[in-house]
Amino acid sequence: MRRKALLAILLALAGFAATVAISTVLLRREYRPPVASPAAGEEASPREQALAEIATEKAKSDREKPYVEADYRPFPRIGSRTAIWVVAQLHLLFAAFVLAVPLFALIIEYIGYRKRDPRYDRLAHEFTKLLSVSFSLTATFGAALTFMLVILYPRFTSYLVSVFSLTFLPYVLLFFLEAFFLYTYYYGWGKFSPRVHLALGLGLNLVGTAIMFIANAWLTFMTSPAGVSEHGALISTWEAVANFTWMPINVHRMIANVAFGGSVAAAYAAFKFLGATSDEDRAHYDWMGYIGNFVAICAFLPLPFAGYWLAKEIYAFSQTMGLQMMGGAFSWLFIIQAVLIGNLFLAANYYLWLGMGRIAGAGEFQKYIKYLLILIAVCFAVWATPRSILSTVAEIRAMGGSAHPALGFLGVMSAKNTAVNILILTTYLSFLLYRRTGKIATVSWARAGNRAQLAIFLVAASIVVFLGVYGYFVEARVRIAFSVPQVLSVLLAMVSVTVIDVFMFRHARSTGEARWGRIPAISQYVLIFIAVSFTWLMGLMGYVRSGLRQHWHVYGVVRDTSPDAFTPTLGYATRVVSATVLVFFLLIGFVFWLASLGGKKDWGSEAS
Amino acid sequence: MRVPVVVKIAGLTLATTAFYTYVGQLVPQKEVHPPVEIALSKEMGPDEMRRVGRQIMEGKGLCFTCHTVGKSGALRFPDLEGVGARAGNRVPGLSDVEYLAQSLYQPDAFVVEGFNPGMPVINRPPIGLTDDEIRAVIAYLQSLGGTTTVTMETPLPGQAGGEGAAGAAPQ
Repeated sequence: MRRKALLAILLALAGFAATVAISTVLLRREYRPPVASPAAGEEASPREQALAEIATEKAKSDREKPYVEADYRPFPRIGSRTAIWVVAQLHLLFAAFVLAVPLFALIIEYIGYRKRDPRYDRLAHEFTKLLSVSFSLTATFGAALTFMLVILYPRFTSYLVSVFSLTFLPYVLLFFLEAFFLYTYYYGWGKFSPRVHLALGLGLNLVGTAIMFIANAWLTFMTSPAGVSEHGALISTWEAVANFTWMPINVHRMIANVAFGGSVAAAYAAFKFLGATSDEDRAHYDWMGYIGNFVAICAFLPLPFAGYWLAKEIYAFSQTMGLQMMGGAFSWLFIIQAVLIGNLFLAANYYLWLGMGRIAGAGEFQKYIKYLLILIAVCFAVWATPRSILSTVAEIRAMGGSAHPALGFLGVMSAKNTAVNILILTTYLSFLLYRRTGKIATVSWARAGNRAQLAIFLVAASIVVFLGVYGYFVEARVRIAFSVPQVLSVLLAMVSVTVIDVFMFRHARSTGEARWGRIPAISQYVLIFIAVSFTWLMGLMGYVRSGLRQHWHVYGVVRDTSPDAFTPTLGYATRVVSATVLVFFLLIGFVFWLASLGGKKDWGSEAS
Repeated sequence: MRVPVVVKIAGLTLATTAFYTYVGQLVPQKEVHPPVEIALSKEMGPDEMRRVGRQIMEGKGLCFTCHTVGKSGALRFPDLEGVGARAGNRVPGLSDVEYLAQSLYQPDAFVVEGFNPGMPVINRPPIGLTDDEIRAVIAYLQSLGGTTTVTMETPLPGQAGGEGAAGAAPQ
């Protein structure tokens, strides 16, 4: 056992060293200042005398040096911007996790309380185990970010502090309250009455959400400033807080945090499943992974709609910024995003299809999987099709332009909106089939209910496709407005079909219980893949949100005059995102390991 | 040999991030630098003004983020081909220079039919063109189907009277 522990520590150290090495390689590939070779020359003579003169001169000039406030300070090797970028992203990833897990832990605990089922309570407790170390890491990265901002961007940080001075003390107070609620919620598990414990969980969630809202005010102000004069003078703190993108970011982040937190918690369950030695543990962690992934996908489905709202507000604030985002410097970033989201949809569906195998009688639905797969693959391909294609001069001549004569039509908004909405509907259908596996509805109106659900699906899909095609024949302002009925028809379809399904499968006859733990090991690697993809997606979208400001610290108000005041290539950005994701997974691996120590025997009892 | 689960998970994490990094290298690699200030002088002639105007529209003015020249179809913002010929007839009582100046200083005063308002005030941040830069832009716009008549001395209705306000706050 000691050898195992030693080996684990050595492996962790080696892993850390490898991650640092990979991150260093990724970060230093570009924008490294040229290395100047020292000029070869002969020593001055007499050398000691010259050195003494220089030292005297330096001492004199040091004494007379006036105080000058620095605008910027450099960070060695990777530069200030990249250093802030990595630390801020790590802080945000841990913060997202710490905010999301209590949200669904509380819901699971409440379900267990209502159903009087201790399995749910154990599951919620297991999720919460991941929180305390993550909370410390969030705070550590938050402190590092604050210090680095003060050191590297002193003047700009001072400006932000002056605008938001009223928000800092409430923020600190809320942070104390969050620590209070988090530790009493975690350490008080089973020690208080269930209602008191649930109230603690509710307090934790409310305080955590308030903290996020305050921090979001600072960063959204940088993108869409309000409440200040053209010269940057503060007019109204509240207007600075409630700027154009504040509420859309609040909502988008809340949903994205839950999706991300669910996926990381599912990855933890997968890690435990793969290392489990008993059927009981495998069953528990299979179930935990399923719940984590269910939470992630439930939050993931409405996420594009929150994204639409955010984009709409960005356009409302500044058409220039909106067009830079979707049609200018960042347009290709959304092709990378499409690859990520397409992969996430594919992986989520694959996991559900694998999960059907747990339940007897799954064959009835498994025959539909190939059609769903084709639909998902087609939508994925459409979504990832760029408007203009990278090509040689000869290829451009042959195509008659940078857009392909046929495929170019798939690269526009009408096609992409249609693809993503059908993708969401398909994933929802996969989930519905999974939900129905092993059950037969016994209500008298089951046949009519099935027909109604099918009709709703068909109508929603028809609306989405019709508006997608019609969008090619109308002017831009009408076409943009089509995205709203497309989104609403999909949302309405999902809500109404779910309501019908819930009532139809009440008191359903079971043809086979779920055999938790009976799932191929590859499903667990799918869960880990989903978590890595979600994390990478968070990093990428964090970059675009921040990068949209381009050469402004506060868009249109405070200009960035530092050497980093340019938008780097997407290749560089993706390397920074990858380095950050690797460091995050190394640290979250440490969190998983610490959380799993709770189940180990004590040192003394083990030795005896 | 049985590969430990931790090694498999680490391999999957590395492979996934490597794949996405690779996708990131496949797309066009372009750095976007802050706009370069172009030196203007009062002695510039029409040719020089048109050349500089075009440069400003491509760079600091960000005009071609939204507008096109010589493109038809379902556009989000008006195409500028022939605007030099149309400008004098757009708004009764406004000459071509006055109309073009109005569309830059007060873009919502007249919105071309079929399009939504959305153009930023061009002499305010974040774009913040100076009056002289706007004169050069008007010179180029006049040349698209018309004749350049504006000079560096032409008074413009709505002009701010000097420097653009970009980055007026702490730099």
